[in-house]
Amino acid sequence: MNRLPILGGVFIVIAFLAASSIYIVDEREKALVLQFGQVKAVKEDPGMAFKIPFIQEVVRYDDRILSLDTQPLEVTPLDDRRLVVDAFARYRVTDAEQFRRAVGTGGIASAESRLERILNASLREVLGSVTSNDILSEDRILLMNRIRDAAILESDNLGIEVVDVRIKRADLPAQNLEATFARMRAEREREAADERARGNEAAQKVRAQADRTAVELVSEAQRDSDIIRGEADGERNAIFAEAFSRDPEFFAFYRSLAAYEVSLQGDNSTLVLSPDSEFFDYLKTDGAE
Amino acid sequence: MPNSNNSGGPWGGGGNNNGGDDDRNNGNQGGNQPQVPDIDEMVRKGQEQLKVLMGGGKGGKGGGGAGGGGLGKGSIGLVALAAVALWGFASFYSVKPEEQSVEFLFGKYYSTGNPGLNFAPWPVVSAEILPVTRENTEDIGVGSRGSRLEEGLMLTGDENIVDIDFQVVWNIADAPMFLFNLAQPQETIRAVSESAMREVIGRSDLAPILNRDRAAISAEVRELIQSTLESYNSGVNIVRLNFDKADPPIEVIDSFRDVQAAEQERDTLEKRADAYANERLAAARGQSVQLLQGAEGYRAQVVNAATGEASRFIAVYNEYAKAEEVTRKRLYLETLEKVLAGVTKIVIDESASGSGVVPYLPLNELNKGATN
Repeated sequence: MNRLPILGGVFIVIAFLAASSIYIVDEREKALVLQFGQVKAVKEDPGMAFKIPFIQEVVRYDDRILSLDTQPLEVTPLDDRRLVVDAFARYRVTDAEQFRRAVGTGGIASAESRLERILNASLREVLGSVTSNDILSEDRILLMNRIRDAAILESDNLGIEVVDVRIKRADLPAQNLEATFARMRAEREREAADERARGNEAAQKVRAQADRTAVELVSEAQRDSDIIRGEADGERNAIFAEAFSRDPEFFAFYRSLAAYEVSLQGDNSTLVLSPDSEFFDYLKTDGAE
Repeated sequence: MPNSNNSGGPWGGGGNNNGGDDDRNNGNQGGNQPQVPDIDEMVRKGQEQLKVLMGGGKGGKGGGGAGGGGLGKGSIGLVALAAVALWGFASFYSVKPEEQSVEFLFGKYYSTGNPGLNFAPWPVVSAEILPVTRENTEDIGVGSRGSRLEEGLMLTGDENIVDIDFQVVWNIADAPMFLFNLAQPQETIRAVSESAMREVIGRSDLAPILNRDRAAISAEVRELIQSTLESYNSGVNIVRLNFDKADPPIEVIDSFRDVQAAEQERDTLEKRADAYANERLAAARGQSVQLLQGAEGYRAQVVNAATGEASRFIAVYNEYAKAEEVTRKRLYLETLEKVLAGVTKIVIDESASGSGVVPYLPLNELNKGATN
């Protein structure tokens, strides 16, 4: 019965030793085994591993792609138009030992601040050597690749690998915004004025053409109608001439009688007659002599 | 416990993500083992269990009772049963249809679990569950993160500024890749999306962005995001990209609206002019027809009148030719009869004037009398 506590004690000791000599590295990690600060082993593959208990400690680093966003940075391209640029980098720890040596106990935070300085420098250098039109064009991909390559070169001794650098923003500084807006407004105003003027122009054109066509139409009709009227008058004369020429003397007599009848109406005429008129021949005498 | 570890958090492993942040902040301090239960803790738990057992044993001994040993054996059995149950509880886990689990053997990737009941013998195997088919949405451009430029104002290739809001919808295409390659997937997707959109907008002119090219831009940006994320082996699939807004900035939108108003105005002016032209031409055509028809009418009238008069004359003449003298006299007398019947007449015998009397003829009064 006295063995139980002893067994228990032994079990505890064994378990404790095992726990402090076994360590597990996750798929997402890299680990360093340090002995009094000195790197004894680098464990890059995930799985279980052993260390000497108490005198060795395990330091782990993230093995995934880490991200770093830089602060907005004002760069001046060759054409002196200033742009605000910010970029982000994706990187991963490739050499844990060198990483530890480079950043010490500062870890990721320290690495980030160093990487950001490297990035800012290469952003300035690369973007300062081209024009702003290059930045705002298809060439942006090439520029990003150049920045990435420069950053890879510079950060090599940090034990990290820069996977990708991309320019996130490349914008005008806030002070230039208002000027740009004003220019955009002016452009729109020009466009609107142009639209209105063209509208007036087209309307006037259509009206003028309509007026002209209308006048043309009416005058042509006037001309044709006059021709017709003339022809009618001519035809009338021909008809009369044909009829009246059978006996011009009788025509004169007949027509005169008709004219007297029409023109000497009762209300507007007073005739002063002489009894010698032929009409009164039989008024004086019965003419039977 | 693997299951309880995975229950919360946006990526089905929230505890893990937090652990990752801690690790980053604390640098080399951070040994996080989210899916592998801490061995120290295991040991401590074992110790506690042992203490309970030993305490029970001592109690039995101290009491000196006959059933002390039996009680000890019984409690050992009970505890063992409980331990097995606990182990089973910790080792079996279920995966929902929209999820996948990733299993680790001592932290090393081991297999991918499909929906259903899965077995991960604790503490050797641990598992993390990810919602692989769920669609996640990132809104970009509508954020209220400080400066105006971060609210979606982007510079176009022709140096105009456009306000763009869009939405990236993504899900997990490959659970292990997603888990092992990106430390901050959400931030990465946001950053890559924004970068891609700005890149595409930056090489396009303003007008096509505002008018018709949205579908093309959307497809191009989606492709760019996808290829960038693939270059990270991120295991992320971009399902689609929604263009919420692509407008001129609020500062200049009135000018853009004025252009639209001007276009409408131009249209109105042209339409009105067309209306005027139609009206004018129709009136002119009507007038022309009126003139022509009037002329034709005149022709008919004049010719008819002439023909009538001529034939009347001919008829009269034909009769006259038969008895010239009589007819002539008759016509003359009939006409005079008609004429003299109506008019005012004054008959003066001129032979009488030879006597020296000059007849007084007051013409005005005579006319007056006639008009009265």
